[in-house]
Amino acid sequence: MTAVTAVTDHTDHADRPGDDPHGDDPHGDEPRGETPRGEASRGQERPRDERSRDGRLGGDRPAGGHDGDAHDGERRGTQGPGAAGRPAEAGPQEGRPRDERSGDGGTPQGRAEDARPADARSGEPRPSGAPSDGARSGGTEPSPARSEGRNPREARSEGRGTQEGRTEDTRADARTETTSSGGVRTEGASSGGVRSGDAPSEGGGRPGGNRAGDERSAGRPGRNRAGDERSAGAARDDAPSEDTRRKSIGLSKERRAVRKEAAAAEGRFRRGAGAGKPSAAGLPERAPAGEGDGHARVNADDGSARADGDAVWDDGLIARRVTEPATGGEPPAPDTRPAVQAPPAPLAYDAPLRARLDALRELVGISRARLDSGTLAEAGRVLDEAAARRKLSGQHTVVAIAGATGSGKSQLFNALAGVAISETGVRRPTTAAPIACSWSDGAATLIDRLGIPGRLRRRPLQSPEAEAQLRGLVLVDLPDHDSAAVQHREQVDRVLKLVDAVIWVVDPEKYADAVIHERYLRPMAGHAEVMFVVLNQVDRLPGEAAHQVLDDLRRLLDEDGIALGEHGEPGATVLALSALTGDGVGELREVLGQFVTRRNAPGRRISADVDATATQLRPAYVTGRRVGLSEEARDEFSDRLADAVGAVAAGEAAERAWRRNANRACGTPWLRLWRWTQERRDPQTGRLPVRDPADEEATARQRVEQAVRVVSDRAAYGLPAPWSLAVREAAVRGAQGLPEALDEMAARATTPARRPPRPGWWPIAVLAQASMTILQIVGGLWLVAQIVGVMSPNLGVPVLLMVAGIVGGPLVEWGSRMAARGPARRYGQEAERRLREAATGCGRARVLDPLAAELLRYREVREEYGRVTGAAPASVG
Amino acid sequence: MHRFWRLAHRVLCTRYACAPVIPSAPCVLSARRHTHMLQNAAKIGHSSHVVTLDVRPQLLDALSALRDRVAAARFPLPLAGAPRARANRDELLAQLDDYLVPRLRQPEAPLLAVIGGSTGAGKSTLVNSLVGRRVSEAGVLRPTTRTPVLVCHPEDHHWFSGMRVLPQLTRVWRPHQEPGDDLPGLSGQSMEPVLRIETADTLPRNLALLDAPDIDSLVADNRVLAAELICAADIWVMVTTAARYADAVPWHMLRTAKENKATLVTVLDRVPHQVVTEVSRQYGALLTKAGLGEVPLFTVPELPESAWGGGLLPATAVAPLRTWLLHRAQEPGARHEAMARTAQGVLDSLMRRMPELAGAAAAQYAAALRLTSAVESAYDIEHARVKGRLQAGAVLSGGALKRWRAFPLDCTAGELLDSLVESLSELLLCSVTAADERVDEVWRREPAAEAPGLMDRDPTLESAEHRIGMAVRRWRRVMEEYAEEEVRGLEKSVAPDTEMVAALVATALLGGRRARNAGEGLAERIGAHSALRLRDRGGRLLTDYLDRTLNNERERRLAPLDALDVHAEPQAELIAALSVLQKER
Repeated sequence: MTAVTAVTDHTDHADRPGDDPHGDDPHGDEPRGETPRGEASRGQERPRDERSRDGRLGGDRPAGGHDGDAHDGERRGTQGPGAAGRPAEAGPQEGRPRDERSGDGGTPQGRAEDARPADARSGEPRPSGAPSDGARSGGTEPSPARSEGRNPREARSEGRGTQEGRTEDTRADARTETTSSGGVRTEGASSGGVRSGDAPSEGGGRPGGNRAGDERSAGRPGRNRAGDERSAGAARDDAPSEDTRRKSIGLSKERRAVRKEAAAAEGRFRRGAGAGKPSAAGLPERAPAGEGDGHARVNADDGSARADGDAVWDDGLIARRVTEPATGGEPPAPDTRPAVQAPPAPLAYDAPLRARLDALRELVGISRARLDSGTLAEAGRVLDEAAARRKLSGQHTVVAIAGATGSGKSQLFNALAGVAISETGVRRPTTAAPIACSWSDGAATLIDRLGIPGRLRRRPLQSPEAEAQLRGLVLVDLPDHDSAAVQHREQVDRVLKLVDAVIWVVDPEKYADAVIHERYLRPMAGHAEVMFVVLNQVDRLPGEAAHQVLDDLRRLLDEDGIALGEHGEPGATVLALSALTGDGVGELREVLGQFVTRRNAPGRRISADVDATATQLRPAYVTGRRVGLSEEARDEFSDRLADAVGAVAAGEAAERAWRRNANRACGTPWLRLWRWTQERRDPQTGRLPVRDPADEEATARQRVEQAVRVVSDRAAYGLPAPWSLAVREAAVRGAQGLPEALDEMAARATTPARRPPRPGWWPIAVLAQASMTILQIVGGLWLVAQIVGVMSPNLGVPVLLMVAGIVGGPLVEWGSRMAARGPARRYGQEAERRLREAATGCGRARVLDPLAAELLRYREVREEYGRVTGAAPASVG
Repeated sequence: MHRFWRLAHRVLCTRYACAPVIPSAPCVLSARRHTHMLQNAAKIGHSSHVVTLDVRPQLLDALSALRDRVAAARFPLPLAGAPRARANRDELLAQLDDYLVPRLRQPEAPLLAVIGGSTGAGKSTLVNSLVGRRVSEAGVLRPTTRTPVLVCHPEDHHWFSGMRVLPQLTRVWRPHQEPGDDLPGLSGQSMEPVLRIETADTLPRNLALLDAPDIDSLVADNRVLAAELICAADIWVMVTTAARYADAVPWHMLRTAKENKATLVTVLDRVPHQVVTEVSRQYGALLTKAGLGEVPLFTVPELPESAWGGGLLPATAVAPLRTWLLHRAQEPGARHEAMARTAQGVLDSLMRRMPELAGAAAAQYAAALRLTSAVESAYDIEHARVKGRLQAGAVLSGGALKRWRAFPLDCTAGELLDSLVESLSELLLCSVTAADERVDEVWRREPAAEAPGLMDRDPTLESAEHRIGMAVRRWRRVMEEYAEEEVRGLEKSVAPDTEMVAALVATALLGGRRARNAGEGLAERIGAHSALRLRDRGGRLLTDYLDRTLNNERERRLAPLDALDVHAEPQAELIAALSVLQKER
């Protein structure tokens, strides 16, 4: 351990020109031998970081160490070529101490052994560089697997961890993936496959044995290959051209990316996400442009692993970005180990920003199914950047100098650095690639992230006061953004996304150009707090004019929506200076010094990024209209369904039928007789042959369809398009089979098992009616008897009896009809209610509930979005 | 920005022969490659039989016919190529109106040289220096020139004061000013663009200089205006600076100019004198690399006098450019050649641009056709579906079915009819909304449907419901009348209730198989023959109303699209106008 730490010193200087890790400068040899180790220890920082972020990895230090080793391995791979003359044993040796450090009991031995074979194998084709390379990769790589296995899920890690430690590095990787989840596994395999496909071609005559081993451990050949390729590059050409170097960096990155993936694979969420990825990710990796890809993925993985599951990394954009962290191919700054020199602590975002990032991650996760990846791409990018930046030094602030061609960016850069670092000239465009200058150590990883190769890293003029003032500043001189050279603009666009702050340099001639305002300043208006706008070349302006121009510039910036940091308010700083004469540079230096000392620029930048993303996503989440399914809409839906099954008509029919029956039962016999004859004469219509198997489709389909349409329209009202589509889909899904279900329900509800209930007075009415009839008959008979002379003539009583019967019959009939009204209505209502309830219940279960669920989901998303915006959630409403 | 470029792209297509005559220039001025240029001029001259402009009335007629066609072309659908086509059209119009037609009508009018370039390139200073006094406001604030300034000889004034060229710009004329006067800030910046006309004796006759606004500043109006002005130019002078000569925007323009074989003059301005040679060499190299090697390049150093809107540059600094321009203006041969070439260039460019416009018009029509056919097919599908459902008796379901079951004991004929009518209108409404939904779905994938008024129609479902309800009720009334007619033919004694007959017919028509009894009942009541007749008539009526309703709704849906007035004709007309023009040339 101590040895390792001692070494770190050197590695930290990697960002210094002299210590350029890529080894194209004269000093390269000496430190290079040690760099890897130093980096190994540095590598520890990242896992720990992750752990702490996870908050659930207790005491898993060794794992962390391994993870570090993994990086180390890569790193070393990268550097391997340089150390051409290195003994092959170096690998194992290095492997072992590291293992011990890891404290993993029995593993070290196995690993070391493992490492050696790997060594041997990969070493065969290549005399010097390759062996060490291979050894390194062999020895170190088990660790990632293990640590990764452990990091996210402790439970699994134990057994497998050790096992993996012993097995081949890549295999271990592959296995981790295997166990973690199906989707991920394929991904690992396929990406491995891509690499192995590459291996033969690029690595040249690689022995078959190695490849055989590869079959099991898919990821492996690629890794070796990358190393080889790198070493090959070195062999080919001792001071490799920039291109090759860059390529190899890219490759190492790529590797890392893959490994990271494995780690992230643990994230539960990955499963689904992994599916489409392998091909997408694998392909671009190979292309030189694939740099970005590899990177983004790494970032994403980190993020997702941490988040325990947002598979942020499976959309196209992220894949594009993969290279950046890879660029930072080295492990993060070594702040965790006791170092001789105070290592830069990783960045810590403040709580609100952390919460917002978490919310954004959550938001991306839950809306992935609804929004297309293009919409979420920017959000994914921001999350990646936030994760990537967070792992890197928090002591440093990366400030880019951007501007139009000929505005004096490089001159300002040189003026700030105190030395002529960046080429200046009258030739337009002058600067073609970004150049970095770091005022203090430990920023190598940060600069790596920007993809600035070692040969373009510089140190400022060493002067104590300048160092004290600007300590922690990493200044990046960018190419122009407006010249005819398109690749310059691409570089600018790429780097601007990664830096913590920007100094926009404008000059009196170009300060009102549309390009800078429309393309950069307006879109980045939210980043005002991490923005300086500098009016350069004021020496070209006559006295008063400088003020005028500055005022005009302020006005333009104001129109761009950029808050200006005047009167102590937060916002962009606007200064006038002349880099040529040095006028005003001091002021800028001072302001920059204060800015850097605050060390909150990265956080603010990320925060502004999140703001911008939130604004961009706003149409997908917010419409500003009231959302929800009102009670009225629900009632209306029920009514429509009831109409569809004909509840009202059925109720009325039942009521009338009941009353008709009652009337018939209580009617006078004569009336019944008449009706009977009437019925016999009249042909019957609808009621006649009541063979109604036609009850198929008794429900009005069109009404159901329309009801569903209306209710889904109501529910979708005020929702952003993706969510309204989801709501409609839910409604349509629910409506499938609804008419059939209604048919069935209605059939069950309309056929009551028993006969209609009869009121208690019914028999009495019938009895009364009967007695009235009897009275009539008795009276009639009596009269007849009198006429016949059987009985003594007495008109009074029989007539009275008859009249009573004749009058009483209709009376009773009328009375019972009146009395029957209530029960009939109740009966009809009962029938209607049964149908209605059946229909409503059916509709609720099939349509309303899914709709409500969908709305609830939206509401959750909406709240999450509110958290992302960071404003009081209510106000975003 | 982009729009501007599109515009500029077209603008530069003028072919213009450059045969600069380089005087023995002062040391600061580097006149490049004049031998080469002279050779080149000779070459051009050789092939310049086209240069002779015979302006026949037929040509002018053909041109104005073409102009009208172009003016009539509309590109209302927001297709990918539409903005470009619109810009193309505008710019073509501008070029025809502002340049080609006036130029052909009056070849003797003075040459117009437009000074264009980036903001802060020193265009105004250059114009002032060429004229010899401050005619155009120069300053340090960008963009300085917002109002174009035209400078001409007093005797040429009448050419420009009228609406002969640039008719869309309001003329502002200020009387001659004392040289020492401060130029009042153009406070009167009204909404409409203005053109300030200055006269100066120092300028020769037959030459007018136009100080255009910048091509790349923040003020978008400036960019558009600059493009418009360039349309009217005989000679275009592009000004860039030592700090800007690699800017993408001017280069884009230069490259476009080259593509269109336009000849232009470039001026490299504000070159610090220490680096004059180097910068102009580099710029020259860039020009050569871009294939613009023969474009005359004049270098103007940054002198203290030019310091940001101060005074004028010394005459020597701009002498070569001035001489070059004078030569164009005064030597009849050079003048005619310059003019004729530019005009010819525009005419030639029509060959390329008109088909492009026609293509865009065709694309518009195709898109409109796609939209229309989406509506048509949606409504066709729904129409077929409604018919099928009617046949299957879908109307006689739900409430109507319940009524029919209860009929006639527990339900009156009127109630039955009511519920049938309601059910029928619900069916129609349902199919109309379904068709609309289909249309929306297809249109959502069509960029052309983004046109205002197409997708964002207000939910007029209520009114659709209203319209459909009206139609169906009307059908019912007619049915009742038919029934009455039939019943009247019967004997009084056996004549059944009219409403009952109507209800039975409606049920039989709408109930499909399910209402077989209704048909039988009807036949029993009014006799088989008249029952059949009644059903026939009712059926025809129903089909009629159904078709009418659905067609009505379809038309309503198509109305906004029709209102956009996208036809197939413009394409053919544009091409036809072009071919007529070609014939006349």
